Amino acid sequence: MDRILNALGILGLVLLAVVAVLLLQNWLAGGVQLDRAALSSSFNTFTTIFLGIFIEAAPFLLLGTLASGLVEVYFNKEAVQRILPDNPFAGALVGGLLGFTFPVCECGVVPLTRRLFHKGMAPATGIAFLLASPVLNPIVIASTYAAYGWGPMLWLRIGLSFTIAVSVGMIFALHQQPRSMLRPLAFAPISGGSIELPVIQSRPTGWARVQQALTIAGDEFFEMGRYLIIGSMLAALLQTIVPQSALLALGSGPLLSVLVMIVLAVLLSICSTVDAFVSLAFVGSFTTGSILGFLVYGPMVDIKSTLLYLQVFKRRTVLYMVTLPLLLTILAAVFLNLNVAL
Amino acid sequence: MKLSERNYRLLQTLILAGMGVYLLVKILGGTLYFYINDRFLWLVATGAAIFMLLALAAFRRWRAAGDHAHHDHAHTHHGHSHGSRWSLLIVALPLVLGFLVPAKPLDSGALAARGISTNLGAGSGGGQATQLSVPADQRSILDWVRAFNYSADPSELAGESANVVGFVYHDPRLPANQFLVSRFTVTCCVADAFAVGIIVESEDAANWAGNEWVHVQGTIAVASLDGNPAPLVLAEDIKPVPVPPQPYLFP
Repeated sequence: MDRILNALGILGLVLLAVVAVLLLQNWLAGGVQLDRAALSSSFNTFTTIFLGIFIEAAPFLLLGTLASGLVEVYFNKEAVQRILPDNPFAGALVGGLLGFTFPVCECGVVPLTRRLFHKGMAPATGIAFLLASPVLNPIVIASTYAAYGWGPMLWLRIGLSFTIAVSVGMIFALHQQPRSMLRPLAFAPISGGSIELPVIQSRPTGWARVQQALTIAGDEFFEMGRYLIIGSMLAALLQTIVPQSALLALGSGPLLSVLVMIVLAVLLSICSTVDAFVSLAFVGSFTTGSILGFLVYGPMVDIKSTLLYLQVFKRRTVLYMVTLPLLLTILAAVFLNLNVAL
Repeated sequence: MKLSERNYRLLQTLILAGMGVYLLVKILGGTLYFYINDRFLWLVATGAAIFMLLALAAFRRWRAAGDHAHHDHAHTHHGHSHGSRWSLLIVALPLVLGFLVPAKPLDSGALAARGISTNLGAGSGGGQATQLSVPADQRSILDWVRAFNYSADPSELAGESANVVGFVYHDPRLPANQFLVSRFTVTCCVADAFAVGIIVESEDAANWAGNEWVHVQGTIAVASLDGNPAPLVLAEDIKPVPVPPQPYLFP
């Protein structure tokens, strides 16, 4: 796993290096004027989009790591286990509803969930929480309302996201040894070493506790932030080289439109707090089901959140977490396109 | 090569503080809006504050690690494998790019992958009539595109006076005496940027370089692009302007 991480890191650096070398080479050779301009222009586009995603997402990740640090310092295992149900199916249901208490989008929820696993939360509960909370939270509901009003789109988005999150959680609840789905470092100190083991020998008080929560948050920002950054770079790179128009030109038909909008959601990697506004731009030219697919699947899975999931779960589990919601979303969206006229 | 706890904390402090400073520089220097919609200013300000707080905590850890260097030696090295170096390096990337690459808004170079629209689907946000309540000569490019979209009969808009700012884009679909004057609209961050443009008709259209920011004054007429009605300005005056402090339109 660490090797994969390093490979990704190296990939990012190599990409940067390639761009830099190309730029330099062109500049030195005095190259074809147009190529140089085009190249530096795409580098400019890449940098701007990358920094845009990062500046937008970093505060959410910070809020998530801060919440994680506070949970670590101020909650003990018994409290968490007392609050959450023992039954994994009930747990999945509760996990789906838990999002209302934590109004942060997909970047922030991952560190918090991992911390709650560490405190004994059942994997099924955590997975439902992870998938549901990017949509089922007050901020996202408010922004969807602002974009679509009290229409079927709002209710369908909330209802479908909740249903899919809880169903996937319940599927995972069937697992015989649920703890084995988690990467060991989800509840042990990290091998990467950036986490000082947050074992509290002597319970610190007052400022020492705050200091400890902040240190955990800082360490976790580095640990999770690298995935956010690699994910943002990949998204920015794809956005710079893949023409959206080609993708959107595919956009009709009850199935194809859904697939196109889902690919777009993954590619854009935009935060769930605002994706409703973004989706408005496609309302006229895309099917209702495909817009719903964009609004339901995008918050659950995109490039950066998948990389973050890999930090918490084993690869097989992440594969299921990505594909089960995908199939359910496609099913619901295509059904909507074929049977309901909105 | 292993990082000691002490060095790790020092680099962590520098990077976290650097992030906070970077965000503050963006906010104060006014280039923040090259990256995100202005409604997220509070979010970035919060982020900068948290970065500073975390930097302070890391700084105190660095100091503490210095004091206890001898006692802690055995187990502070314990967990530090290559992973921490990698995360320091990767997390420093946005700082390197952010400080070394001059801040620039998206320009017509980004259009190749993003496309440009002279007629939005349903447009983003806002009620249907809002852009018509804006006086004609204060309407932005986005307002005009929307007005044409919502209007049952766009020809009613012909003859109104237009007064818009945007960058020049020589769309291959247009004849030599026309170009598009364009803006990106940004809902959240530049990752969702979407270009809109209106056609400008002028005898010296070909003389304006692509990407140049211009102020166009003229009269609205109805053109057709790809079979859809599109706004066209019969230009009376085109003059170069500096890049506006808010290069994008926020729907």
